[in-house]
Amino acid sequence: MSDLVVDGFKASQVLAQLSNATAAFSDADKANLLKKTNGIFQLQVKNPEGKEETWTIDMKKTGTVYKGPAKPKADVTIILSDDTFTQLAEGKLDGQKAFMTGKLKTKGNMMLATKLNIVLNAAKDRAKL
Amino acid sequence: MSLQGLISGAECAVEVNPLSQVLKHADGDRSLQQLHHLPSTSAHVPVQQDMAIARQFFEQGSRLGSIPGNSMAMSDVARQLELMAATRESASDFSFAWSEIQRAQERQAAVRAGMPSMAWTGEFESAHGAIMPVHVGPMAQQPGGAPTPFVPRSVYGNSSFMYSGMGTLSQSYISPMSSTPLTAQDKGKGKLKDSDFEAAFAQFDMPLQASTPQESRIEEVTSELEKTTLDDTSTADSVSFKDVWDQMKNSDMPPSDSEMAKWESEFNHLMRGGDEDYDYDGVMREVWENEHERENALKFDDEGIPALSPYVFEKNNPYLDPSSSTQNPLQAAKDLIACNGSLTEAGLLLEAAIWKGELGIGGYEAWILLGETRNMDEREEAGLRALTEGVRIATEAGAAGEGMISLAISYTNEGYERASHTMLLRWLRARFPTADISPETADSLKQSAWHSHGLVTDALLGVARSQHAQGIVDADTQIALGVLFYTDGKFDLAKDCFETALAERPGDYLLWNRLGSSLSNGNKPEESLGAYRQALSLRPTYTRAIYNVGVACLNIGAHKEAVEHFLSALALQESTGDRSEQLLTTLRRTFGMMRRNDLVDLVKPDVNIEVFRKEGFDF
Repeated sequence: MSDLVVDGFKASQVLAQLSNATAAFSDADKANLLKKTNGIFQLQVKNPEGKEETWTIDMKKTGTVYKGPAKPKADVTIILSDDTFTQLAEGKLDGQKAFMTGKLKTKGNMMLATKLNIVLNAAKDRAKL
Repeated sequence: MSLQGLISGAECAVEVNPLSQVLKHADGDRSLQQLHHLPSTSAHVPVQQDMAIARQFFEQGSRLGSIPGNSMAMSDVARQLELMAATRESASDFSFAWSEIQRAQERQAAVRAGMPSMAWTGEFESAHGAIMPVHVGPMAQQPGGAPTPFVPRSVYGNSSFMYSGMGTLSQSYISPMSSTPLTAQDKGKGKLKDSDFEAAFAQFDMPLQASTPQESRIEEVTSELEKTTLDDTSTADSVSFKDVWDQMKNSDMPPSDSEMAKWESEFNHLMRGGDEDYDYDGVMREVWENEHERENALKFDDEGIPALSPYVFEKNNPYLDPSSSTQNPLQAAKDLIACNGSLTEAGLLLEAAIWKGELGIGGYEAWILLGETRNMDEREEAGLRALTEGVRIATEAGAAGEGMISLAISYTNEGYERASHTMLLRWLRARFPTADISPETADSLKQSAWHSHGLVTDALLGVARSQHAQGIVDADTQIALGVLFYTDGKFDLAKDCFETALAERPGDYLLWNRLGSSLSNGNKPEESLGAYRQALSLRPTYTRAIYNVGVACLNIGAHKEAVEHFLSALALQESTGDRSEQLLTTLRRTFGMMRRNDLVDLVKPDVNIEVFRKEGFDF
């Protein structure tokens, strides 16, 4: 969805891809993902220029990604930089390590943040072991 | 990782709001939260005296600025309150809170004169309480002649206390107070947004100018008060203070629990205001409870193993027909797999075998084989459940360790990292009972995946190293280690492990696939293709490998080829007409990436894939 993309944010590309991916899910798959994740993530991403943008990944009710803060309320808000998010999405950085090193901050249900990688993996095309 | 450590230690989690910093310094703030038992009746006791004091104070000082004067008045009043309300326990809470407020007030330097009066009025309206009519009562008793500047403030002061019980009491107490103490209370009860203050300040300023606007304001508020509903007392309509008071006095019991709860939640809501960090415990508790109560949410045991639904058998299984010729479906399935037959067919045969009660060795063999077959056929969900069942039976039958690695792999594919670690550790224990595994390792599994992976890795590495020292290369250990690294995203290390294992078992197509996936996820799609080709040469019907080739093509950017591979995989599953969801989803997504939405719409579970051949895809 092009309305998710914001210039200067690599994260938005990832999120657009995630949105495409979840849109392509069959109903059964989507229901499965919602059941597995069961949370609404609000991402506050800051890019190197200092601009900040907010996106919401709703993996509880609708299974969509949209720009802007969560409606109704986010279960967890994750604050991180553009680079960190991209690395997370690519699997180069582990979510928990990011948290430990302070690259990722959470507000709200932080245990839910660990499920973010499940969501990101659903977006990525991962080979099956 | 310890949640507590994270919560208390994470300074970074604090919202960047200057007020939060201030609040942190002002102790005594939180004390207000502890007020759970809000008095409903004690309020009435001091009303009369309060009026007197108020009037006294009004005569005393024209300006409300002097805090010392206020403190004195307040402490007098507080003492009196204590005396009066001696019998009522709730009042002591209140006085305690009151003294806290006093202290908080004195510490508050910032003159937040902008009492969010509008905010209060709003809140006040929403507050249910037994004392509503009481508010109206004394107000009615105070004709407009009473020093009007104070009355509206007292009304606002009322709303600052969400507890309806506080009602009149607070009204009177606050009336002698200046705007500063009011502000102090406000801070004491939690922070409201700066913008609220500004707005309220502006609004507050205006009423202060003239008395007429104030009076009209009073009337507004009065009427609003009258409109507000009562919950507690049955005398909802009673406006007469005396009546209510008598009733209160006679009932002599604290408000019902539901009332308390309501007040509490309102209070918490107020306290929370704009501060998302506050009441963290409560939020977490809610979340915890919600997670556990929700029917739909997936439940995990304390070692991270998800509680999945049981295996769903295929509905149209031709082998279930008793007239069919297969006498020994289990053996037939094994034969089929051995000679590279259709994995889907083999799956059906195995299901039939299980249905008929032919479970093979130990009662688990058929299940585990079914699980592995389903996974090879790129039906992860089914495979996962079958393996869960198989492992369970095997463990009960005393053959622990069977199928565990396959199950761990399934968990990894589905993203259940902690479960995967648990399963690998169990495998290790089962397979190497003499290996030295620290109890810490087992405990770590109960925490997070991050915590456990390090320890499980060490345990496995320990075994591997001792094997190496003895010159043995145990493929299984290498595979387990490889799976562990893969789960943790260390694809290069996983690749090494699988290569080592392959040296031992060159004909194991599963291993070739695993090597391929490690390469593919490790961002080496071209190399992965080589590994997949090997797997497919050993087993041409290896649906999963075909899927993975498609994924690798996607990562390279060869969308058309990817589609062709997915379609080939789908073609292999033709026999039942029941396709793997994963295949369909990824196919759909690829079409989306190719911007062919027409094709996206075509992909349905029952689509005839010949349609795509017409579109120019060659498979």
